[in-house]
Amino acid sequence: MSTHGEEELNTNYLKVGSGVKSWLLTLDHKRIGVMYLVSVILAFFLGGVFALLVRLELLAPGRTIMTAAQYNRAFTLHGAIMVFLFIIPSIPAALGNFILPVMLGAKDVAFPRLNLLSFYVYVVGTIFALFSIISGSVDTGWTFYTPYSTSTNTSVVSMTLAAFILGFSSILTGLNFMVTVHKLRAPGMHWRRLPLFIWGMYATSIIQVLATPVLAITLLLLAMERVFGLGIFDASLGGDPVLFQHFFWFYSHPAVYIMIVPGMAVVSELFATFTRRAIFGYFAIAMSSLGLALVGFLVWAHHMFTAGISEFAAMLFSALTFLVAIPSGVKVFNWTATLYKGSIWLTTPMLYALAFLVQFTIGGLTGLFLGTLATDIHLHDTYFVVAHFHYVMMGGTVMAFLGGLLYWWPKITGKMYDEGLAKISWGFVFVGFNATFLVQFIMGSRGMPRRYYDYLPEYRPYHAFSTVGSWILGVGFLIYAAVLIKSLRSGPKAPPNPWGSAGFEWATESPPVLANFKDVPTITRGPYDYHLVTEEELFDGFPEDAPKKA
Amino acid sequence: MSTHNETHDHAHGDEHESWHVHAHVSSVKFMVGIFATLIFLTFITVAVSRVDLGAANGFVAVLVATIKASLVAAFFMHLRWDKPFNALIFVSSFLFLGIFMLFSLDDLNTRGRIDVSNGVKVYARNGERAPGGFTPISAPEHAAGGEHGAAAAGEHAAPAGDHAAPAAHH
Amino acid sequence: MSTASTTEHDAAHGHEHPKWLAHHFDSPTQQFDSAKLGMWIFICTEILMLGGLFVAYGIFRGMEPDVFHHAHEHLNWRLGAVNTVVLLFSSLTAALAVRQSQVGDRKGTTNYLVVTLLCAAVFLCVKYVEYSAKIEHGLLPGRCFGHPGFADHCINAGASVMPAAVHGLTTRASMFFALYFMMTGIHGLHVVIGMGVLGWVLWRNLRGDFSKEYFTAVEIGALYWHLVDLVWIYLFPLLYLVG
Repeated sequence: MSTHGEEELNTNYLKVGSGVKSWLLTLDHKRIGVMYLVSVILAFFLGGVFALLVRLELLAPGRTIMTAAQYNRAFTLHGAIMVFLFIIPSIPAALGNFILPVMLGAKDVAFPRLNLLSFYVYVVGTIFALFSIISGSVDTGWTFYTPYSTSTNTSVVSMTLAAFILGFSSILTGLNFMVTVHKLRAPGMHWRRLPLFIWGMYATSIIQVLATPVLAITLLLLAMERVFGLGIFDASLGGDPVLFQHFFWFYSHPAVYIMIVPGMAVVSELFATFTRRAIFGYFAIAMSSLGLALVGFLVWAHHMFTAGISEFAAMLFSALTFLVAIPSGVKVFNWTATLYKGSIWLTTPMLYALAFLVQFTIGGLTGLFLGTLATDIHLHDTYFVVAHFHYVMMGGTVMAFLGGLLYWWPKITGKMYDEGLAKISWGFVFVGFNATFLVQFIMGSRGMPRRYYDYLPEYRPYHAFSTVGSWILGVGFLIYAAVLIKSLRSGPKAPPNPWGSAGFEWATESPPVLANFKDVPTITRGPYDYHLVTEEELFDGFPEDAPKKA
Repeated sequence: MSTHNETHDHAHGDEHESWHVHAHVSSVKFMVGIFATLIFLTFITVAVSRVDLGAANGFVAVLVATIKASLVAAFFMHLRWDKPFNALIFVSSFLFLGIFMLFSLDDLNTRGRIDVSNGVKVYARNGERAPGGFTPISAPEHAAGGEHGAAAAGEHAAPAGDHAAPAAHH
Repeated sequence: MSTASTTEHDAAHGHEHPKWLAHHFDSPTQQFDSAKLGMWIFICTEILMLGGLFVAYGIFRGMEPDVFHHAHEHLNWRLGAVNTVVLLFSSLTAALAVRQSQVGDRKGTTNYLVVTLLCAAVFLCVKYVEYSAKIEHGLLPGRCFGHPGFADHCINAGASVMPAAVHGLTTRASMFFALYFMMTGIHGLHVVIGMGVLGWVLWRNLRGDFSKEYFTAVEIGALYWHLVDLVWIYLFPLLYLVG
């Protein structure tokens, strides 16, 4: 770390050292972020392939392309890969790693070695997951429910260990970010001047640190249960299979906030930049992120209403579940209010942010149907749940990830992308996504159970529609990939602040130097102070940011 | 130009004050005193456990353990002199653990309560009365029979039955 | 964001950047506080991980207090008490190692760290004696329960039939031993990891890395060791004394 000379610290981070070793052994948070980015995109591709296979199988009733056993494996792998290898690390570990220290005006994260370690822990976890896929795969669903997971003869243990190891990667990233936000803010960066992206990352980190260890112990117990018949989740030995679900969801419900809060964090930045105004309700949005982190710990058993938990507990958890709507609603209303009378610039990242707003609202509101005890009895384990989940995760987080990636792409690579082509890909993704999943709400409310290999003929039109939607979605992602590749090959050089954003990360060069800023920045304004400057000044840099001699 | 740090904990303000690490140094005597207290409390907890206090035994054990843990955290781990935020993190970990434990216990302790108040145990699937389901609390004389029946019928089918009736066990 | 040149900044305060101060930190205080905050967050993580087992313990003990009570009588509380004293003492020596490091007494730090490591070894030896007795008596949980030793039948489902009673305990007592082995096993793993951490600190101390100004690693290593002690403070009464 301290081996870098003054000159190196002021060099473009992509040009400090070259060759594979300079990447694999780097302690620079930006390079680690890029390595994460490549990994999660590969994982997204793999998980996406499984998703397309699952949809293809469901095109028609009966066998279409695979057997029932293969189908069980395909949807399990889709879920496990998307959750553990893609969504959880996507925004925090990839984009967050790159942007968070830059936004804070820090030179790096607090523990650069730990950061690199967390990446390699992720890699090891991925290897275990791939090993599990090769050696017989898993057919339990990504939730690993007992008693099926303790009795099926697929390779549950290696997938469990993979999730266990990936959990540690997530914990270390969260820990690192928390300390960085607390201790490495540039002079003048008060808590009330923190960009909302940072607030979201901070809330996410709290959840990662508090919830993920419970997943670790749960999966360890599950592995022991399988190997030694320990009995903790086995009713014949006095254990309780439903206890597994308590343990699992104590992590995995907060984990869905690990997935969505970063998405909210990204779109908060996008809305401010592309409406050219201070975000409405800054403090409310910041606090609602923390609120989600806290409330997320109080509602986990709403996944278990029909699993045999007590009626009293079900009522309690149902009532508490409605609390989640408050911070989520606060955010949605504040974003909408930010759009109002803003001077909206419809770039592709902004289009993704708008898609997020619409789709997250649909996903969030349908969550209330599921949180209501009575309606959940009808809707549980139907496609309604699948649609709800995907509207939040894919319609929300993935849209934010895609938008955020394009938004920060010039900062990360120093190159611009083709706006026209990107807009086309957005069109395909938006239409494809809604075609795939909107119909699943209808299908689910009419009783189509999730995870079924076969179905009654009356569901066929819905399934066929959904499958065709998944193809449109797939095309959209291919075009998106083409946008990125084209930009890397022949994209024009990006100016420091292509969007004219007031965000601090745009005050440094694109791509940033190794130490992020050539001089130690001192923050003298808020991250959304658009009222201080004219439109031209935005692109040239804030007058107050200009170097001053003491 | 902003005035340097009002609220942030970045080390720019009073440079010469905050440049060097200032950590509290306890005397050896004090540390040994804490250790002696810990040993004394260990003795107490062993002694109390030899006396049968019923359910209170567990409570006393956890109470004494918590006092011991607090001593270790406050003095050996320097929380007493540390930044309050570190103590907040430490305490909040127990808070979240408490949430986890209370809500899980809440489920397990109240399972089957509606069945109890209706005096029956029924299959959720078809609404029929389950064979060997535990008998309501008002008729304890059947408790033993009901318990065996549930075990024979396979507890996979009705794990709620024996959890919900701790009274019937003991 | 106005900027001041880096060199100017450093010159203004008249501080060299010591070699143990990482480039992204501005001052030793910032580095020390960051390390400590990070460790406390990690401790929080550990508490929630081990906490899961305590939740399981609370639930199953609440369900079957009598079974747990009878089962716990098969644990040797005297050995547990010895280990408690050993671990408490090691915590004291770890704290004293930090103290000596703070006042710049390198030799004292070394001595206290060595004593801490020896205590850890004694703890593991006592644990070994306890474990082997349990295994010999067929008190390993699950499929092993009631079968002395550790062999094929533990792993192979269907290869063993659980006996109706083991040393006067019903098969339900397997749950107590499941929790006992999981909790003490994971705690024991932490003891081993803690020995690794303290061994690394000791090695760095012998190398002369630490001084009055910089003793972060000693402090952090000791914090981890105290956590190991904290967990045992709860495990001992819950498993050995009240069951």
